[in-house]
Amino acid sequence: MAAAPNTELLLDAKGVEVKIGDTEILTGADLALGQGELVAVVGPNGAGKSTLVRAVAGLQSMSGGTVCWSGRSINGIRGREFSRLRAFVPQRMPVPAGVTVEEAVTIGRSSHLKMLGRMTRADREAVVAAIERAGVSRFTGRALTTLSGGEMQRVQIAIALAQDAPVLIADEPTSQLDLGATIGVAGLLRGLVADGLTVLLVVHDLALALAVADTVVVVSEGKTVATGTPSEVLTPERLSSVWGADARLTEHEGRTALHVAWLDATPA
Amino acid sequence: MARRVSVFAALLVALALATVASLALGAVKVPFSDVIDILLGKGPGGPEQQIVEALRLPRTVEAMVVGAALGIAGAILQGALGNPLASPDVIGVTGGAGFGAILIIILFPGSIALLPVGALFFGLLAATLVFLFAWSGRNRGSVGKVILAGIAMLSLFTAGTTGLLAAYPERAPSAIFFIAGGLTSSGWEELQTIWPYFAVGFIFALLLIRPLDRLALGDDVAASLGSRPQLIRLAAGIAAALLAAASAAIAGLLGFLGLVVPHVVRMAGGSSSHTFVVPASAIGGAALLAGADTLARTLRAPIEMPVGPFMVILGVPLFLWLLRKAV
Repeated sequence: MAAAPNTELLLDAKGVEVKIGDTEILTGADLALGQGELVAVVGPNGAGKSTLVRAVAGLQSMSGGTVCWSGRSINGIRGREFSRLRAFVPQRMPVPAGVTVEEAVTIGRSSHLKMLGRMTRADREAVVAAIERAGVSRFTGRALTTLSGGEMQRVQIAIALAQDAPVLIADEPTSQLDLGATIGVAGLLRGLVADGLTVLLVVHDLALALAVADTVVVVSEGKTVATGTPSEVLTPERLSSVWGADARLTEHEGRTALHVAWLDATPA
Repeated sequence: MARRVSVFAALLVALALATVASLALGAVKVPFSDVIDILLGKGPGGPEQQIVEALRLPRTVEAMVVGAALGIAGAILQGALGNPLASPDVIGVTGGAGFGAILIIILFPGSIALLPVGALFFGLLAATLVFLFAWSGRNRGSVGKVILAGIAMLSLFTAGTTGLLAAYPERAPSAIFFIAGGLTSSGWEELQTIWPYFAVGFIFALLLIRPLDRLALGDDVAASLGSRPQLIRLAAGIAAALLAAASAAIAGLLGFLGLVVPHVVRMAGGSSSHTFVVPASAIGGAALLAGADTLARTLRAPIEMPVGPFMVILGVPLFLWLLRKAV
């Protein structure tokens, strides 16, 4: 059915199908991740973007299709081993009372510890490194409940970094952030790619996707409809056919913009 | 961190005081120094040593084991279900254990020695039914399903218990002690039968500390770290069921302890990290039950009152005081 997996890819997903109850959420989505890329999954609400990244991350069971991590089928990858392959940053994690930033990031390291084993020096160093890299060193002692949305998103990324996996997957990491915090998180994610990490994002904001992504995957009605560089893929025709919007994206000296005919758009 | 250390220290001091008081006080008062000597194997001999070794020591150990077990059961259930109202009640154990005990008391009053076994059996049966229903069909193992199945099972077994009591009102008085919850000076026999259930429960709880911390950051983060959230919840439910059913077998229905002790510990320590909450709830629960049991049997000695109500009277003011200060 599906072609042989490409072993040079970190992640190769083909024909992914997901059913929740009797509802088909994904009916044939493809997704590939090369080493050191930032891939953004975009698409309208309800297209199945989050479901797709959750499925390839092993957080959502599939009803069809193949997913291979470095050539190995997802079916043979056990939990702890999976934690060494990818870290998943949920859109919004629950905020437990009485847990500090440092404690939360330390929990992110726990997949490296043996059952009942203690943190080694290397583990503690990894926690400190994750805290510094995510830019949350200023408030490590604060309770999670006291953080702003932007601070919380950085802490979630720090938790994932402590996991020390080569791929970081984040589900709409900026959807609830203000402009300044979004810029901060976008810069952080791009910086992680510069460090050698591979990043897979679900993104709602197309201007942001154009600015940060190496590759854009467009998901619509449960299927992948286009994959390529942002400027190849996010054409006015596609914005019209997938989002039903009369819109175009522009890029000038590192600044991106989405120009939309807000009021007289006629859906295609 | 310093705050947690001082909470631990305070709990250990409370436990030590409760232990010594529990061994020394009662119808016959034994001087503290003699109690220490007896514990160190240098006792003066005589009837006082007999009382401490044969009657009070097993009872004190029972109080500590049951208190620790209920504290831990509450802590891991609240963590696993992410719900502050969780206690052994919500997975049906208390209802089942109560039914099992009352069944023996009322229908087989001649075989009262079977009471612990009956409580244990029906407690675990109720929990098993809860897990079977909660882990089947769609959305299995979700918090809502577990709690709803648990409440349904609690209602069912409570109805059974009430039905039995109503059908045999003349035998109801002997059931009151079990329902109120209390310890007896019956030597080591009960612990000798029940200890494996405690042991398995304690070991499970120890292994669950880290997974529960992951679960506190949400199912997705736990899954990212290689855990299976539903499996953690199931394991926590089984451990709590074992601990609570074994506790009910020995000391009747003391549900309050499992609900409140973990909250007190969290509020006092300012932390909900399970590395802290689980052991601290164990020590706190042991200290509370040992202390309350001592009060229950000394206040109107030689009459012994059931410890359940005393524990509530001791615990509620402390709980409310901490609740007022909590955010």
